[in-house]
Amino acid sequence: MNKELEHSFVELLEKHQNIAHKVCRLYTNNYDAHNDLFQEITIQLWKAYPKFRGDSKFSTWMYRVALNTAITLYRKSKRSIKTQDFDGVEFKIKTEAYDDTEEQQLKVLYQAVHQLNDIEKALVFLYLEDKDYREISETLGISEVNARVKMNRIKTKLKTILNP
Amino acid sequence: MDELEILKRDWNKQGERNKLSVADIYPMLRKKSSSIVKTLFYISVAELVFWILVNSIPYLTSDSYRKKLDEVYGNDLLFNWLTIFSYVVIILFIYLLYKSYKSISVTDSSKKLMESILRTRKIVKYYVLYNLIMAGVSVVIGFYFAFNHDPELADQISHFSDKQYIIFTIIVVLAIGLFILIIWLFYKLIYGFLLKRLNKNYAELKRLEV
Repeated sequence: MNKELEHSFVELLEKHQNIAHKVCRLYTNNYDAHNDLFQEITIQLWKAYPKFRGDSKFSTWMYRVALNTAITLYRKSKRSIKTQDFDGVEFKIKTEAYDDTEEQQLKVLYQAVHQLNDIEKALVFLYLEDKDYREISETLGISEVNARVKMNRIKTKLKTILNP
Repeated sequence: MDELEILKRDWNKQGERNKLSVADIYPMLRKKSSSIVKTLFYISVAELVFWILVNSIPYLTSDSYRKKLDEVYGNDLLFNWLTIFSYVVIILFIYLLYKSYKSISVTDSSKKLMESILRTRKIVKYYVLYNLIMAGVSVVIGFYFAFNHDPELADQISHFSDKQYIIFTIIVVLAIGLFILIIWLFYKLIYGFLLKRLNKNYAELKRLEV
């Protein structure tokens, strides 16, 4: 691959890296795993980049590759052995009181989202990214109606996790 | 307020905490992928090579084995056709695998990507199945020819009593069965481990469509 292509790719990825970080935040529990998944997403993006035509936005294209890497291609490497969790108290949600302060609220929310399965997390991710149901359905390969129904179920499930 | 709306407020701050520079990203492009597609590719190549070696090593390395085979099967039409058939099948599998790998695209929808990977895995599965069946068929044909064309063995067998003959047959059948079972379990374990997550996610996507 030529230098020019590499340079344009790195510039674009640096600009849109937030997307990959957000995917990693949802699918991993610690920093090593986060970095490992980010590394794999980068490789997959780079491998697919020569076919990126630019007729869609780089960010839109990146959503798909990053999510597909997280839910399908990623295989935990040896590097991602469990170290310190992001929050230190992952999955202990039921024993904690649902605090009103925003920080505590967010921590509990992230923990709740981590309890969802991979596909549910993908829907949550696209929802948080303000994608409409047409785009959600196209990215995952399900119908628009089913994406909507599933999203409503996830919201209910989250409520149940948060208020057992 | 909707829980996800609260999350949304914090959502876009993620990258700020982990922000990488251009200099950090460059070396990442040189690293090797550890994706399941790559692993699947290595396994399928290993399988192709393994079965080709299993079929050809005894023939290539042992003079007496080659001589014996040439003697017994050399002029047999069925054996020659089987050899040609096995080469055609190997070429066909290599072609199908290549085509299948080429169709795996990370930019497809998640469901389509999973289906492409599972289709590739299925081709490898059929290849293994084909080899196991061929191994079984070869043993049966081998015994048939050995009984009819190898005077040494035919002589030994002719001294067997009925009981010995039955025991001998049972041992042969059990040995073949055990061999096939071990190989089958081995593959189940490898693919089960490798594709566990993919299978689970694919099942979840399929469930959404019901």
